[in-house]
Amino acid sequence: MNRNRRFAILSLSIFLAGGLAVFGQAPAAKAAAYRNPAEIGAAMKALAGKYPALARLETIGKSAGGREIPILRLAGGGKVEGRPAVLVSANLEGGHVIGTEAALRLAEKLLAGYAQDKKIAALLDARTIYIAPLLNPDGTEAFFGAVKTGRFGNGRPVDEDADGAVDEDGFEDLNKDGKITQMRVKDPEGRWIPDPKEPRLMRLADSKKGEKGIYKIYSEGIDNDGDREYNEDPAGGVLPNRNFPHDFEYLVKTAGLYPASEPESVALLKFMDGHQEIALVLNFSSENTILNQQQTAQAKAGGDKVRVPKDLAQYVGLDPEKDYTLKEVADAANAAGLGGGMTITEDMIASFLGSGPAVQIDQADQPVFEAAAKDYKDALKAAKMEGLEKHARGVGKGSFVAYAYYQFGVPVFSTDLWQIPEAKKEEPADKITADKLKDMTNDQFLALGEEKIGAFLKDAGAPPNMTAKVIMEAVKAGKLKTAQMADMMAQMPKKPGADGEDHPDAYKLQWSDTALKGAGFAAWTPFKHPQLGDVEIGGFCPCLGLNPPAAEMDAPISAHVDFYLKLMGNLPVLEISGLKAEFLGGDLYKVTAYFSNAGKWPTSTGQGRRARTAWPIRVELGLDKAQTLFSGQPTETIPVINSGETTKLEWTIRAKKGSKVTVKAWAPKLGTVQSTVVMD
Amino acid sequence: MRKKFGLSLAAGILLFAGLLGLQPAQPAAEVVLSFDHFYDNAAIGKALQDLRAAYPQLLTVQSIGKSVLGRDIWAAILNSPKTGPAERKPGYYIDGNIHGNEIQGGEVALYTVYYLLKNYGKTEFATQLLDRIVFYVVPSMNPDSRDFFINKAADPNSPRTGWVPIDDDRDGRLDEDPPEDLDGDGSITMMRKRDPLGRMKTSPDDPRLMVPVKPGEKGEWTMLGEEGIDNDGDGMINEDGPGGYDMNRNFGYNWQPEYVQGGAGPYPFAWPETVAVRDFVLAHPNIMGAQSYHNFGGMILRGPGAKNLGDYNPADIRVFEEIAKRGEKIIPGYKYTIVYKDMYTVYGGTIDFMYADLGIFCFSNELDMDPIAEMSPKKEGSEENIMDRINRQENLDEMIFRDNVEMGENFTNWKPYKHPLYGDIEIGGPRKFSSRVPPFFKLAETCHRNAAFSLYHADQMPVVGFENISVKKLDGGIYQVDFMATNAKITPTITGQAVSQKLHRPDRIIVGGKNATLLAVGEMRDRYLNQTSPVKTLKNAFDVIGGVPGRGRREYRMLVKGSGSITLTFDSLKGGFAEKTIDLN
Repeated sequence: MNRNRRFAILSLSIFLAGGLAVFGQAPAAKAAAYRNPAEIGAAMKALAGKYPALARLETIGKSAGGREIPILRLAGGGKVEGRPAVLVSANLEGGHVIGTEAALRLAEKLLAGYAQDKKIAALLDARTIYIAPLLNPDGTEAFFGAVKTGRFGNGRPVDEDADGAVDEDGFEDLNKDGKITQMRVKDPEGRWIPDPKEPRLMRLADSKKGEKGIYKIYSEGIDNDGDREYNEDPAGGVLPNRNFPHDFEYLVKTAGLYPASEPESVALLKFMDGHQEIALVLNFSSENTILNQQQTAQAKAGGDKVRVPKDLAQYVGLDPEKDYTLKEVADAANAAGLGGGMTITEDMIASFLGSGPAVQIDQADQPVFEAAAKDYKDALKAAKMEGLEKHARGVGKGSFVAYAYYQFGVPVFSTDLWQIPEAKKEEPADKITADKLKDMTNDQFLALGEEKIGAFLKDAGAPPNMTAKVIMEAVKAGKLKTAQMADMMAQMPKKPGADGEDHPDAYKLQWSDTALKGAGFAAWTPFKHPQLGDVEIGGFCPCLGLNPPAAEMDAPISAHVDFYLKLMGNLPVLEISGLKAEFLGGDLYKVTAYFSNAGKWPTSTGQGRRARTAWPIRVELGLDKAQTLFSGQPTETIPVINSGETTKLEWTIRAKKGSKVTVKAWAPKLGTVQSTVVMD
Repeated sequence: MRKKFGLSLAAGILLFAGLLGLQPAQPAAEVVLSFDHFYDNAAIGKALQDLRAAYPQLLTVQSIGKSVLGRDIWAAILNSPKTGPAERKPGYYIDGNIHGNEIQGGEVALYTVYYLLKNYGKTEFATQLLDRIVFYVVPSMNPDSRDFFINKAADPNSPRTGWVPIDDDRDGRLDEDPPEDLDGDGSITMMRKRDPLGRMKTSPDDPRLMVPVKPGEKGEWTMLGEEGIDNDGDGMINEDGPGGYDMNRNFGYNWQPEYVQGGAGPYPFAWPETVAVRDFVLAHPNIMGAQSYHNFGGMILRGPGAKNLGDYNPADIRVFEEIAKRGEKIIPGYKYTIVYKDMYTVYGGTIDFMYADLGIFCFSNELDMDPIAEMSPKKEGSEENIMDRINRQENLDEMIFRDNVEMGENFTNWKPYKHPLYGDIEIGGPRKFSSRVPPFFKLAETCHRNAAFSLYHADQMPVVGFENISVKKLDGGIYQVDFMATNAKITPTITGQAVSQKLHRPDRIIVGGKNATLLAVGEMRDRYLNQTSPVKTLKNAFDVIGGVPGRGRREYRMLVKGSGSITLTFDSLKGGFAEKTIDLN
């Protein structure tokens, strides 16, 4: 174990060449280093040990590879059971280790702040905060492995090429540089060429531009099983963050055989199902759902309307040729007595007609997400991190975040913490382009001067005999007009390296060159491959872009921890804001109760109500034996209370003067509130 | 129609009796099972253990897991050891009773095991079947509800669920308000109360029946619902009974959450019974065909359960159809039905998981048809008013059936009862065995015909052979060996689904023999022009991509270097094993 560690440190320091922090060993030190699963486990244990009254270390299960999945439960004074909770989840993807560090930092801030910060104390006294920083320990272990493969699947063996043998053809680090990069081979069927602007990067040849492919590209390795495919069945298995049940990709091997097929996702799903008091999920992964609100599946046009089959339509009195909302159909069905005493709900109609799941953010929830997005962008601006928006990735198919919103039905926020910064492009203001040429007069063109015109012709790929002098003479003689030149320019094939689009990964390479002193990219180097012959090995380090250099992780973590703490403060707060008893005469009293939401967010999400996983508020009137209810229900439900709003419920009861009545309001995600009123 | 019914019943009874009568040699411990009653889970376990003792070579019995309440989920594995290990044979899987009240699948499955064991070595069909195919049988997937349905007070439609407590009415309490058998007749029947404003009135034709009141007419009865009391004082009766979910919506393929598919649970395979069955099926990847018994209605179902992920592979559909059409003849009255199209939408059902994720040809039979419907043939093609349907003659026929055929066993006459909330009421109505399960005198026929269908289906599992072999000597010690891999049965050696979705390993032909080397192989395109298409040559083997079609063949030409003889082995995950020695000289 030690020897591998040392080798890991060695290869990691080669990777982080040039003055970046060497991999630390002491978990207690405020190290500028990412910690592996063993160190994370130790750190969590230490935290729980340091704050025994507030923190408890638990495990939610084991990974496919047999590793524990740890979770910290943070709760302040008072009864813990039944209080609303928050889940902070991180690094389901395995390689997003900055997420792990951020989750732990958040735990540390809460625990250290309890004694000093009133807000934090109030938060921890009222709510339980669950922190799960290491949800894919197999994948994270792979991240810290001696050879960087860029794969963070769990430890389940998967026969990816369906040939009967499992994991028989994995990657090989042929050039022993500690990372699995690519191999490029010259091949008549090759479709790849070096990018004209940045030849280290590969792009597909575009036949429309007259480009012809040169290379085939493989991942680094040999053909272990002789099937002429390379590395098509490597070890490490399924990606847990694609294994959740919303918009699951069926029949894709890396997503798993079926939703919840993997122990990591089962552990988390079991945990969620067993903790219905979780009212908010704050996630760290490569998904930044606050900046990119695009959903994975498209709603059908008019998706919420359905058509009723003929004989059912006739029975309930609807038109089989018209579209109705689910509510309209349910109301018609109930009016026709279809249920025979049982109330037909919209879900039953949806179920019977085979309507599918929700795929768009519910209209009722959009204001919450929009307000959060605004606050988040302000926070990013203050931290000078606006660059996060450009390459923000939205929610993924089958991801935990998608399940948490669409099926578990709570507000969910996911951030990626950091992206490779893209340097701003400097365009020389006086560069001549075809468009500018069109608008220029002949005189303006000539006024540019021979040098500029010469450079322009060279850039435009003009043939060598077409010098600036020749062109200027032609324009002077009236033989050539600027507009004609503009057209000709547009027609001509571009000279390699001429004004064209940057390779989409060019900004990554640029950052690797400057910030990492080139360590993020392996230069193409010849290699003699046992099967393919002469190849070149090179390409991006597979882990590039997932996390910032360890020395730079503090600022993004800090900004996001503060923002997530702020979000936790928005949770709804159920209150009985008023309770009175009014004497009506005789032994009759009218009891009126007012229920309010003192928090910023509604008491449940629209999607949670649609999925029926966010229960309505249940109100119970507690009477003693001598009291009887005259009008009103002993139990009532309130579907939702928006922020700052109040709902009123009334009962008329017969009771003795001086007796008491209790009103209790409860929902799994809101906790219980209770109040008593005396009849006088 | 009545005549035919009588004839087939007689034939069924005769065949059944004959089956028991044909006993040339009595084994030391003879097991006699009868199919005129229902077996609870312990009885199933005992019957299987008794059979195991009588047929130790052919039968293995194991518990594949425990239910929520700790009952064993029994499985039987039938394999003929003299023809090789189970893994090398196509497997046929049968289960029943995933819905707790749909019990007769348990008897059908048990009958199938019993029939095979009794007739192996006696009839040609049973002997060759058990020699070729290995059977995996789970008679009851939901033993907790099975036992409750058989031994306690239930109604024909429940309990369907498993027994994890669920807060159905969301009041913070679990399973606190189940139905009660107030009159102690062993079933949950109905409660009614005399009410001049009620919507029902006594039927003029039979005082035990009620008909809806016409507008303006005086009422007599209000229906109060199923027998029970308000246990939790919330003003509702029987709103939170045991469990409250549907295990046949909890499987992994095309699973949808509760609000889309009621009963589906919090995530796939959330309960011990569904986990046990899943793991048992996954442990036997040689399973190629399957049957999952339900009730009710007389249907031979195939998936998909929903249309959002598309229909099954067209080549596979043809196989399903041919087998199902024969099934319609074996079980007259049963109709071949496609779930999403002809029935209703089912997300996360067992049969979709088996077909789409595992590449198994899986049917689901909805057992039994309404014996009362046979008494008065329905007028086909007439658009009936719903109200007329309720008043139909059939209701009177039902009482004739209950009185004169069942002789009162399945109907409780209305009797007064003092209800704590409603006061003077009456309790009565059809009992738990009155519908969905067959009357005892019909159970044997249900068992035999459905067993016969699934054994027919099992018999159509692939059988591969090597035929039309010719050897031609070429120069340099190289031989050209032509052959056909043939499949005599309707089922291909691999489903189209498994091929297109790469679900599992393809079939492989392995060349063996001392000094034998496979140099090249091509698939025959034109024998006369000697044209072959290239086939990727592995080390002395090649894959039969796409398998051998049902009643089809794949033709190959190999170039081998060798001497003496070579062996050809067909090695398929689900399509079985075949071997042939070829003399090169």
